[in-house]
Amino acid sequence: MGSRNLKQMGSIVKEALDGTLLISKFLCFLHVTNKYLCTIALVYGPSMLPTFNLTGDLVLADRISILFNRVGKGDIVLVRSPENPRKIVTKRVMGMEGDRVSFILDTKNSDRWETLVVPKGHIWIQGDNIYDSNDSRQFGPVPYGLLQARVFWRIWPPQGFGTLR
Amino acid sequence: MVAGNLWRWRNAVKEALERTAVVAKFLCLLHVTNNYICSPTLVYGPSMLPTLNLTGDVLLTEHITSRLGRVGLGDVVLVRSPENPRKTVTKRILGMEGDTVTFLVDPKNSDRCHTLVVPKGHVWIQGDNMYASNDSRHFGPVPYGLIQGKVLCRHLFLGPYGKLVEAALEQVPDLLIPIQF
Repeated sequence: MGSRNLKQMGSIVKEALDGTLLISKFLCFLHVTNKYLCTIALVYGPSMLPTFNLTGDLVLADRISILFNRVGKGDIVLVRSPENPRKIVTKRVMGMEGDRVSFILDTKNSDRWETLVVPKGHIWIQGDNIYDSNDSRQFGPVPYGLLQARVFWRIWPPQGFGTLR
Repeated sequence: MVAGNLWRWRNAVKEALERTAVVAKFLCLLHVTNNYICSPTLVYGPSMLPTLNLTGDVLLTEHITSRLGRVGLGDVVLVRSPENPRKTVTKRILGMEGDTVTFLVDPKNSDRCHTLVVPKGHVWIQGDNMYASNDSRHFGPVPYGLIQGKVLCRHLFLGPYGKLVEAALEQVPDLLIPIQF
C-alpha cells in the first residue's frame, strides 16, 4: 500500500517538474526575445501628443536597431530617463551626434530660439508636444547608452494600428 | 541495406541535436549569470593606478547592486562611456546625486579647483589616477542608467595555480568580456 502511494507521488512530482521545466524554457525564450529582439510597451502622458494618446497606447519597439546603431533623426525611441534611472520615457530623436539643433527653450513665456551642437556619443530628444514635454531642452543631450528601444508599430488603439508618422 | 543506413543516420542526427541542446542550455545559463548576477572582467589602462594594474586585472563584477540602485560613494563601477557607447570604462564613484564635488580641473598644469553639485539621477566618476584619466572632469556627471555593474574583488583564482591561470587568461582576452579603461 505504502509503496504504491510513494510511486504515485513520485510520478506526480516528476510530471510537475517536467511541466515546470517546459514553462521555464518558454519564459527564458520570452525574456531573450524581450531583451534582444522586440518588446511591447505602454506609453502614456501628454508629451507626445498628437502622435500618442494621453491615456495610453500599446506599441511594439525593436531593440536590434539600438544594438546595431541604426537609430536616426525622426525615430521615436524609448530612453531611460537621465533624471530618474527607474523611469523609461518615449521621445523623438531630433538630432544625432554632431548635428546642430535649434529649439525654443521656454515655450510658455518667450519666443527665443537657442541653438547648440550635439556632442559626440549623445542624442537630442524632444517630445512632439513641445508645450508639455520634459526632454533634452531641460536635461540636455542624452548619452547613446541610455537608449532602450525604437518604436516602429502601434498595436492599440485599433484606429491607430500600423506604422507611426 | 538502405533502410539500415537511414536508421543509423537518423539516430546520429538525433544524438547530435540532443548534445547541441545541452550545450545551448549551458550557454544560456552562462549568459544569464554573466548579465544578471556576476561575471569576470578584464580591465586595463592607466586611469585606475595604483588600485588596478596598467596591463590588466581580472575582476569579479556583480550586476545586482546597480539594478537595485544601491551603488554608493567610493564604489568602483563599470560604466558605459557617454562619449563612446560601445566602450565600458572602470572608475570610482566620488559623488552621488545632490553631493557637492570639488576637483582639480587640470592637475598636470595648474592648481585650479572647481566645485559643482551633482544633478538628480547622475553620479560623478573619477579614476584613481587623476593625471591620466578621462572621467567626469571631462565629460561631466554621468546618468545613473549608464552604470553596468559594481566591482567586487580581484584575483579570482586562489591557490598555487592562481597566478598561472590568470596569466593564461590574460593571453586569451576573448574568453572574458574585454573592457577598456
